[in-house]
Amino acid sequence: MASISQQPAGKPALLSGRNLGYQFYRLKNRPEVVIGALCLAFLGFVVLVPLFQIVRDALTYQSYDLAYVPDAEVGAFTLFHLDRVFLQPISKALFIKPLLNSLSMGVAVTAIAVTVGSGLAWLMVRTNIKFKGVFSAMLMFPYMMPSWVMALAWLILFKNDRIGGADGLLTSMFGVQPPNWVSYGFFPIVITLSLHYYAYAYLLISGALATVDNELEEAAATCGMGKWQRAWRITMPLLVPALGSAIVLTFIRILGTFGTPALLGLPVRFFTFSTQIYASINARNQGDAYVLALVLIVMAITFIWINSRIIGVRKSYVTMTGKGFRKRESDLGIWQWPATIGVILFLIMTVALPLLLLLWESLTLTSGNYSFSNLTTYFWVGEGNVNLAYGEPGVLHNKGILGALGNSIKLGFSAALFNGMLGLLVGYAVVRGRGLRMSKWLEGVAFAPYIFPSIALGAIYIGMFSTSIGPLPALYGTFAILVLITVIKNLPFTSRTGIAAMLQIDKSLEETARVQGIGWFRRMFRIIIPLSMSGLVAGMLLTFITAMRELSLIILLLSPGNMVLTGVIFGYQEQDMAQHSGAVTLMLVLIIIVVSVLVRVLSGRAGVQGLNNN
Amino acid sequence: MTTKIINLSARLMAAAVLATTASFAVAQDMTPELDAWLKANELGSYTDGTEDWDAIVKAATAEGEIIIYSASGRIAKLKDHFEALYPGITLTLFDLGSVKTIEKTVREQDAGIFAVDVVSTGNSGQVINELLNKGRIYNYVPTQYMDRIPVENRDPLLIRVNEALVFFYNTETFSDGPPISNVWELAEERFKGRVGIKDPMASGSTLMGLASLVQHPVEMAEAYKRLTGEDIVLGDGVPDAGYEFVARMLANDLVIFKSGSKLADAAGKAGQDDAMIAFTNMTYISRNESKGNVNAIIQDLDPISKLVYPTFTSIAREAPHPNAAKVFTAYLLGSTDINIDTKIAKPYLEGESFDLLQGLAPYHDAGSVSPRSDIPLPEGGEIWGEMEGWVVSDQFMWTQGPKLRDFWLIQSSQ
Repeated sequence: MASISQQPAGKPALLSGRNLGYQFYRLKNRPEVVIGALCLAFLGFVVLVPLFQIVRDALTYQSYDLAYVPDAEVGAFTLFHLDRVFLQPISKALFIKPLLNSLSMGVAVTAIAVTVGSGLAWLMVRTNIKFKGVFSAMLMFPYMMPSWVMALAWLILFKNDRIGGADGLLTSMFGVQPPNWVSYGFFPIVITLSLHYYAYAYLLISGALATVDNELEEAAATCGMGKWQRAWRITMPLLVPALGSAIVLTFIRILGTFGTPALLGLPVRFFTFSTQIYASINARNQGDAYVLALVLIVMAITFIWINSRIIGVRKSYVTMTGKGFRKRESDLGIWQWPATIGVILFLIMTVALPLLLLLWESLTLTSGNYSFSNLTTYFWVGEGNVNLAYGEPGVLHNKGILGALGNSIKLGFSAALFNGMLGLLVGYAVVRGRGLRMSKWLEGVAFAPYIFPSIALGAIYIGMFSTSIGPLPALYGTFAILVLITVIKNLPFTSRTGIAAMLQIDKSLEETARVQGIGWFRRMFRIIIPLSMSGLVAGMLLTFITAMRELSLIILLLSPGNMVLTGVIFGYQEQDMAQHSGAVTLMLVLIIIVVSVLVRVLSGRAGVQGLNNN
Repeated sequence: MTTKIINLSARLMAAAVLATTASFAVAQDMTPELDAWLKANELGSYTDGTEDWDAIVKAATAEGEIIIYSASGRIAKLKDHFEALYPGITLTLFDLGSVKTIEKTVREQDAGIFAVDVVSTGNSGQVINELLNKGRIYNYVPTQYMDRIPVENRDPLLIRVNEALVFFYNTETFSDGPPISNVWELAEERFKGRVGIKDPMASGSTLMGLASLVQHPVEMAEAYKRLTGEDIVLGDGVPDAGYEFVARMLANDLVIFKSGSKLADAAGKAGQDDAMIAFTNMTYISRNESKGNVNAIIQDLDPISKLVYPTFTSIAREAPHPNAAKVFTAYLLGSTDINIDTKIAKPYLEGESFDLLQGLAPYHDAGSVSPRSDIPLPEGGEIWGEMEGWVVSDQFMWTQGPKLRDFWLIQSSQ
């Protein structure tokens, strides 16, 4: 830049017409810079401001601290929380032990989830396994259920007499009490979470596998490489970005997960980082909560940094070029049927069983009694009977539930749409702007929301958007703020898929169009979007799913007329109306499933699937 | 160029940060708007003990709406009945749980939003010290109820309902009656891993229950001596007998539950020969009927058998519908036609019973007690009056609650 603008006639004034014209010309040819700057400014505002407030609250006295320091002034600077969390004797219980628990849990779940997810992705994309269409749709189902459903199913099967009450299924059938380590704590948490979160790895890796050209492997075969050598030397390196993303996403998500550790960990006092954060927020002890949250954020940033270092070194993972592209399935041979049956069993365990359990729960007259004489359809179609469930009518007659259903669907779709757009733009700016410092910043900022504790982000957004900011009107109490916070919270995933998708599209495709004088918008709509559609649709679908399921993020921001299904479920759970909450959860899961299947079918018709699964 | 854009966006961001944080410092101080609002509605220092109830109801109808933040979802049952009784007022409830009720109120008011009319929640330490004492909520007691409510139930803040934590035992496992008569017996070897509690780190009511014990270290020490004949020996770093009780319970492999109702069911399920003792909310005794549990409450326990925790109701600062809030407060307290001898028949949420109980109806349940002294105890809940009870002070919760949490955290992570 400097060398060109230093003309012999002297440097043109910054605001001179010539300079402006030149800069405009330059920018026109670097759309990624403009987009990147806009995205960065927007994300900086909606992501960094909350981060700043977390840091500020961690370093100032909160009203909760008056119990320890009676003459402290609320809002005054202090290192009190840092001292408390890291240096005082309580640190062991508050910080170190939960951290170790979370880390070991994170490593174990990530290892299992990524292995299971990649294995399934390979089976679905690269082999001739049976029933592919049905399987690949159903493999996403576990992710569509609230994660605690699996934990609940585990308890029903394996609970022992430590927590009293009805026997677990295992005990009542065989008369043996499972040991504590099977029933509660580390082991069941790792298993149930893995069966829920393999979806990330499955999605990302099947997307990447689908775009790896078989010719590359065939070329290697021609050169005399064996099967395993090909997989290790050719396929694996091409999958590194997707694999890296899957590991990062899964690991960080596990660090922040709350429901399952709370349900399965408490009986044996297995505390994790997230349960400590939630406990602190529950006590309105922001100081502790935010210091712990900052540790999570630092860990996540470190992780992303390592990931980007690894991928940054290997630049060679463009797999979509303008050249020929072929794909071939490997023949499983005699393993075709065993593999098929294996997947069926897996699906029965992770999909059919929990769903059946939910359905059964919603059909029981007194919850927890699973005998046939105790079945009723009241909680679905009942008109409201004062002796049952406080007179609450069945879910299909319930105006409140049906209204909330409409809002949930609206939220899911709008969040998915905006998220897809933003994710693509971020991906474009990051990948095309690679080498610029801005690209790195943008990637980091787009990932940041991932590690905010949801409820903290919600609390901060109340303050941020309660008054108008510049041209932005006060968003508090509107539907828009629900969409905004959902988009931001899910951005890490869509921007990851955006980046992964863009990484695979060679620059040359766009350059060819550019040579022919095709403008940016047309390039976007005719080349980039169609080619990245499979990843984009997957990312948007995931946003839709999480938006429909999300609660703690938005509960503080809900206002009249904005009630969503998860809020309704929360209410029923609080009141311990198990059948209603089971019925509404099932309804929610079914809607998510129907929408996902529809999206797959429609996008398949539109030709998207050609790149995704064949 | 890119650097310039980044610099610019960084500056914009910094400005935005300043703009958003500046709005945090408001609220809490007496503003002209607040003063005018208090004066117009005769709240705060403008309360003079008289009011024109008909005018209030008329003004409430003109306001047409009421917004409630509540820790309890059961208020939702009142919507239709309230709206039928006061045509023209639409009730909107936010069922938030106690933490979010307080959080939302504080955050909104600090941001200059005054959207809520009635705030009803428990957790006395924070409600009194962070909401009431900071002028975020105001106490309001309709004059016609003044004589019907004992002063401790309406000063400094009106209590909507009193509930309690008690000990349940399984009447099939312990067919000879209550297995213990002194709370310290629960720390003995025979109850190792056989006592359950709802997680006090997540449950405000359980924390308050424990705090009630901790607030009475002398009584706890005396009870220990009555049981063992010896003076209690405190563990390392344990300040008094109240804390010692918490430590010994945890050391005796106390089982921590996420849900109070699940705990009640775990203790009370029929057919168990080794059921646990549950330290849980008394109101779950009603699950004997609805779930077939065989729980009983340990009525006579040394030094105490019932730990009371109140839930309050209040009018929010600069509530947009203050008269509707007053009418709803009166509605929550039940009809003035009730007296201590009134026979109120089940179901409470229908017909004449509902008309009499009004806002009390969803809470007219064993284990829940109205703040009024002229309401008969609900069927099945008569033993409330026969049990000794402690209630932790809001000041103790505010200054010692955090330390009790720390103590619990350390002891439970051993």
